[in-house]
Amino acid sequence: MAKVIIYPINSLILSDLVERFGHKPLAMMEKIKEKVNTVGVDSPPLNITAEEPKMGLKYAAVEVPAGVRGRMAIVGPMIDEAEAAVIVNEASMAFGCMGCARTNELTKYLIRKKEIPILEVEYPRSEEEGQEFVYKIAEFLKSLPPEDKV
Amino acid sequence: MTKDKQVKVALVSCGSEYAGVQGELEKVAASVNAKLIFPEIDIASLDTIGRDFGIEAASPDLRLMMARAQAVVEGLTDVDGVFITSCFRCAEAAIVRNEVRRYINKHSNVPVISYSFTERTTAATLMTRMEALTTIAKRKHLLAREHQTGLTAGIDSGSTTTKAVIMRDDKIIGQGWVPTIKVIDSATEAFNHALEEAGVKAEEIQAIGTTGYGRFLVGEHFKAQLIQEEITVNSKGAVYLANKQKGPATVIDIGGMDNKAISVQDGIPGMFTMGGICAGASGRFLDMTAKRLGVEITELGALAVKGMQEKVEMNSYCIVFGIQSLVNSLAKGSRPEDVAAAACHSVVEQIFEQQLQEVDVKEPLILVGGSSLIEGVPKALSDLLKINVLVPPNSHLIGAVGSALLASGFVED
Amino acid sequence: MSLNATGSELMDSEEDVITKIVVISSDSVLPIDAAMKVYQSETAITIKETCFGTMVTGPRNAVDRVVDELRAMDMNHVFVKERGFRPGDERRCRAVRGGGPRPGFHYLREEVQMLPMIGKALDAYDKHVPLAEIHRAKKIEVKKLKDIIESNI
Repeated sequence: MAKVIIYPINSLILSDLVERFGHKPLAMMEKIKEKVNTVGVDSPPLNITAEEPKMGLKYAAVEVPAGVRGRMAIVGPMIDEAEAAVIVNEASMAFGCMGCARTNELTKYLIRKKEIPILEVEYPRSEEEGQEFVYKIAEFLKSLPPEDKV
Repeated sequence: MTKDKQVKVALVSCGSEYAGVQGELEKVAASVNAKLIFPEIDIASLDTIGRDFGIEAASPDLRLMMARAQAVVEGLTDVDGVFITSCFRCAEAAIVRNEVRRYINKHSNVPVISYSFTERTTAATLMTRMEALTTIAKRKHLLAREHQTGLTAGIDSGSTTTKAVIMRDDKIIGQGWVPTIKVIDSATEAFNHALEEAGVKAEEIQAIGTTGYGRFLVGEHFKAQLIQEEITVNSKGAVYLANKQKGPATVIDIGGMDNKAISVQDGIPGMFTMGGICAGASGRFLDMTAKRLGVEITELGALAVKGMQEKVEMNSYCIVFGIQSLVNSLAKGSRPEDVAAAACHSVVEQIFEQQLQEVDVKEPLILVGGSSLIEGVPKALSDLLKINVLVPPNSHLIGAVGSALLASGFVED
Repeated sequence: MSLNATGSELMDSEEDVITKIVVISSDSVLPIDAAMKVYQSETAITIKETCFGTMVTGPRNAVDRVVDELRAMDMNHVFVKERGFRPGDERRCRAVRGGGPRPGFHYLREEVQMLPMIGKALDAYDKHVPLAEIHRAKKIEVKKLKDIIESNI
């Protein structure tokens, strides 16, 4: 089972496909769950405090806006952890976790820079493209090592 | 203070939840009895908002901002005010934030404020802004007051100086102006000066209003009927002193620590900005310049009027480097007059570049605050904007006069 | 934060409560069938119907078991993802937070609209239906555009 980072990082479809084909999706939702359930931190709604933009400095310099660094504090460690990646380009409008174009650019860049198996597919525009989309993702996921790495 | 109904403020924001400031926004709203509302939108509008609004922003959350602004303008969401905010240093967001603000201003009567945050932005920083927004939204009856009646006092506890006035039936009958050392002690001293000059006793005062940084502390100490932030008070005080209570006006207040630019209509503030990132644009900078030149602050203005700022190279916004530039110029043989003029120009240039961009300047332009007494400052501002700058009498007492005026609303109550 | 960081059994079980959102995009299974299935199989689970799917909350193992059963009802037409907040969390619930939905809602809506297509594609993949040739139009060359303009004047 490989840890597969998905982009868009909160995608229902990608998260589902990764799990469906036997791998572990690295997705935003789980990280947000960790955040919001952190005992003793009370910074609604996501429990992101002024500390996160500082932690984000590992991924983006200080002149990068706080919102980007705050997001990177969550996304960055996921990229570090990833063993494979599925990127959907030109995905339709994503909000919230995926609401910042600059963060998204940086996220994709950092994923591409990693030496891991990466599949990049275009967002489907027709039924035929949808079929191709699923086919490519399925084949890619099947090509990843099924067992846990030691 | 009277208990008002909770004010609904639409939050039109990008990035606040991820920059760690959302909690601060909620906190400051709660502290002024406001509730942040996320405007309901027509979901389908998200697909076309980029073209409909006109900015095809790459960031989806900025598109959400536009859709939410549209919902406010179209009345889909019923709110009393709008707070527009996005990350500091984000160019894309700055474009959208400014245009969304203009759009709401143009198409609705809902008061708007706009702010760019960093992770260091705290509730305290936002307090004055949010308080002003809720006051404008909910206390219009208070702001409609055009005459001071009865015997009232106003105390402006500023960061640098504390001012107090006693007023009776539209006349200032006593005033006090002292440096701020300890907030309550300085306020007491200024107040006593004013009482003495007016020849009245504290017990005779029918209502007191306080404003400025120390307003809460001073207000509590003197049991003030009105404790009000300086945006509302100063815009009211400015149009009152300048006798421009009807129609549009723009008020610029250069304070000891920060500046305010307020666009006013019929005495009620609309769009406003508060600067406070660098003291290089404040009265403090002029104070330091005067010391460097070895003149009293009261003489700096007359000196500046005689000088030419173009003769001095001055290209820093920072108070430390700014002073250094001036010292270098002096060392190179610049005349003190030119240096004084350059200092005044530097202050107004910063106000122009950082604040007037977000406020539509409409005449008359009323300049208030202690720095307005330094003749070089209104001159430099007038030269820069190419319009007449009005400095009303007692412009340095603006906050105290505005407080005394608004406090008289409580005399009749 | 590691889930096992705190040590005690109680804390572990409390921390391991998760929520998964199950979206049914099926001709044969209705969301109500799914709900009945959950009620029949697990007691440790709570479910909540929303406009886009069923939120399933409970201990991780129980949720995973239920989700597997739900998937099995119509394998290629039931979709699942984990959710950060529990249903009705005051920090995110629109009833409490004053108006509009949480931002993630809009994206979920977009994706849900795509699910019938994805479902069909999964069916086709299982049946080894060969991929159709796809023609993707490229931007035309400037020269060609120039010719078109000239021929139309």
